[in-house]
Amino acid sequence: MGVQRIDTRLLKQLSEQSQDLNSDAMRLTHGSLVGMDRTVSRDDIRALQTAASLENLAVSVYRTAAGLPFIKHGNRTVAAFIATTITQHSAHARAFNAAAMNAGGVAQTAVNPKYAAVVKQALPGIKGPADVVALAVTLEDAATQTYVKNTGEVRDVQLRKLFASVAPVEAQHRATLLAVQALLGAGRPELVAIPTDVSKLPAAAGSVAFPQAFYPSKNASPVTEGAVK
Amino acid sequence: MSTRRQDEDLHISEHDLLRLTADMEEAHQATLPAMQAGTEELVEEVRTADVRRRGFLVGIGAAAAAFALTARSGEAPAYAAESSPVAKPSPYTGDLKVVALAVALENQAVMAYGAALKAAKAGRLGTVPPAVATFAVTAMNQHAAHAKAWNAVLTGAGRPAIKGVPLTNQAATLKALGKVTSVTGVARLALSLEEQAAQTYSFATTHVTSPAGIKTAATIAPVEAQHAAILHFVLGEYPVQDTFLPLDKAAKPTLLTV
Repeated sequence: MGVQRIDTRLLKQLSEQSQDLNSDAMRLTHGSLVGMDRTVSRDDIRALQTAASLENLAVSVYRTAAGLPFIKHGNRTVAAFIATTITQHSAHARAFNAAAMNAGGVAQTAVNPKYAAVVKQALPGIKGPADVVALAVTLEDAATQTYVKNTGEVRDVQLRKLFASVAPVEAQHRATLLAVQALLGAGRPELVAIPTDVSKLPAAAGSVAFPQAFYPSKNASPVTEGAVK
Repeated sequence: MSTRRQDEDLHISEHDLLRLTADMEEAHQATLPAMQAGTEELVEEVRTADVRRRGFLVGIGAAAAAFALTARSGEAPAYAAESSPVAKPSPYTGDLKVVALAVALENQAVMAYGAALKAAKAGRLGTVPPAVATFAVTAMNQHAAHAKAWNAVLTGAGRPAIKGVPLTNQAATLKALGKVTSVTGVARLALSLEEQAAQTYSFATTHVTSPAGIKTAATIAPVEAQHAAILHFVLGEYPVQDTFLPLDKAAKPTLLTV
């Protein structure tokens, strides 16, 4: 029954996107490593490992979400978003780990302990798509704030470039999720679609996705939070 | 579910959404003090750099000044290469050139959204969905806040604030705006400006030398990217197009005409 619900065109599209994204990741990772300062500080390596830990957790949570019946058999746009976002976070994790290893560190394959606890606490309360979206908003915000802060603090310019290229993407994930959250909250799940009926979007849906003019970083994860011990 | 019930749901939800927007506006205001601290730090850095530069430049001609400043830092070769000797030297050199470019881009966005809202009011864009109008007003206000913050850096460093849009592409942008007759057209134009801004800030994080400047650019790039994501959604496109923000649409400092 579940197999019959799979849209093969969507799968094909996602598969193509996945290949494109993987190429992007490889290109960017290579770009980050070329010319990277060999004397990267220990804190820079820790920052990379903590970033990888956040990405690993995001991948794990989205993968779990993708298997939930109300996601797998629910809104196709939400399911497609989750599938694409898994690919994007996986690429980020690879890029951060590759940079960490190139700098003489080790890859972080574990999930971020602080936010893993947040996820564990939230799991029993997840009953529908809105709960998944709320949890994902938290994780995307944590990642964005962390990378915004890291952009300003890492010493190596290539690492700065890497963080600066990922932070806006996580912010876009969050923006999309906030818009979806608003539409689900408004009882308009049918508008969570691409393309959507723009004329029917609630007025406030035009602003909920970017609540701050300057992205904060006060809740950024410290570099040691997800570092390899 | 009956139509009436749906209407009630929508009414209540709209109220909730507006409340949520108000909460978020508070959150936005809460970020301003931190931003102000950042710009003050940047102004101080620029002042210090100016003092050092003046000492360094004693006996050196003004035409060589911009090159010397940038070459000393060794971290902004792109701008050094693009600074050409002109009859009247630009007051914006080194990091300040990037700051001036940022203000000009922000002013351009404010101008574009303002013109679009004006055109919408005049009925030149057809029926404008409420969400699109809200988007335009909110994004315009955020761009104005960005411009204000960057201008504070310029004036704090003793340079004139950038009031208009001193960019070589401004005439083309105005022309494009004048031709737009639909919401889709405006959204497409706005998207190009948002993507340019996001990428310019991302580029700036590795091409300015001031730590406070890097931090400030890092806090703005994600917001411009969020604007772009929602515009993609409005245009019927996937909101998160890239896994890593590219730089191919970043504005070059040569775009600046002052």
